[in-house]
Amino acid sequence: MRESTWRSLGLALAAAYAAFIVWLYVRQPQTVAEMTGAMTASIGAYQIDDAAFADGVRLFRRDQFDASRLAFERADSAHQDARTQFYIAYSYYRQGWGRVYNDDALFQRGLEAVDRAIVAAPHGRVAVDDPDLQMRSADELKAELQAGIRRDASDLNPLRIFRQRK
Amino acid sequence: MKREAFFLPLSFLTVTLLGGVRVADRIVLLPPPLVSLVLGVLLVGVLVRSGALAPERLMNGARTPLANVSGAVVLITTFLAAAQAFTVAIPEYGLPRLLFSVFLFVLLMNTSAAAPDRVRVLRSVLVIFGSAFILKFIVLAALSDPAGGWWKRTLLAMLEGLTLGTLSQDVYRPATGYIAFATLALFIGTLALLPSRQTTALARTS
Repeated sequence: MRESTWRSLGLALAAAYAAFIVWLYVRQPQTVAEMTGAMTASIGAYQIDDAAFADGVRLFRRDQFDASRLAFERADSAHQDARTQFYIAYSYYRQGWGRVYNDDALFQRGLEAVDRAIVAAPHGRVAVDDPDLQMRSADELKAELQAGIRRDASDLNPLRIFRQRK
Repeated sequence: MKREAFFLPLSFLTVTLLGGVRVADRIVLLPPPLVSLVLGVLLVGVLVRSGALAPERLMNGARTPLANVSGAVVLITTFLAAAQAFTVAIPEYGLPRLLFSVFLFVLLMNTSAAAPDRVRVLRSVLVIFGSAFILKFIVLAALSDPAGGWWKRTLLAMLEGLTLGTLSQDVYRPATGYIAFATLALFIGTLALLPSRQTTALARTS
């Protein structure tokens, strides 16, 4: 093989490897599943496990949030599906919601999940058509989670106990 | 030629990739901080001054444009790998980070002023990274580890008091140390394979 061919091959390989490294540092995948999932998602070939997702929704509607998240995690192990991440965030909201006070730790995890949903969605827009949910977009859910964590004077309002979980 | 086109850039890119890996509850990839970039420039400067790296052998008018681009890639990846090698060696924050950064900066300036030859500078790099690795991944990691007896906790509390709470670092899984060791070994091994000025002189003699 000619020298120029070897050099071209080397340059192409180095450029591809460098691009892969930059991509890894930007995306920060946590597991091999996340890495492969993000790679397939970037070319539009990522698919979730539909059966596991259906299990997750069924458990979510029964208020079995821990179990539903296990199913959602199985459905979208790479955290690349906006709809699944939205349901995960919603499960943290419903589990963490309290009439007197909210569970900040669960709300925080909900925020992380809704952020993942926004990142995974095209143009950052997540809309879920589910009549069981009162909040059907990531924007509403994120605002509700942020409001739940925020500390302000309205926390002292005794009428808070009459509010409803969404 | 194949070394320059394949092995050197790919090896240095691997150092760049692994240099930022930290394994805790989750895997984090740390980009090089500014201090690492500065130290990386200094190290490349020291390598060039000592003849351990001869840029004129990688890029010159007698080479084809493609060969010059290939040489430029080696130089760029050498710098990136040097920066990430320092990211491995320097603690992530606090007083230790400041001390390590100043110490390494002074050490590199001193090495540059001494103008050692290729072999001496490679030995010096080995000592610099070896001692930094031991201090960070063995000494500091042991001090930062919350597990341990009462005497260790007392000692740590005293040291934390003396350093205004800036001594202890994040505790990583042991895999981080092994990855860091392999990264530094690969980096120093690859530095030894760079085209050197000494080799040019020998080639001319022969």
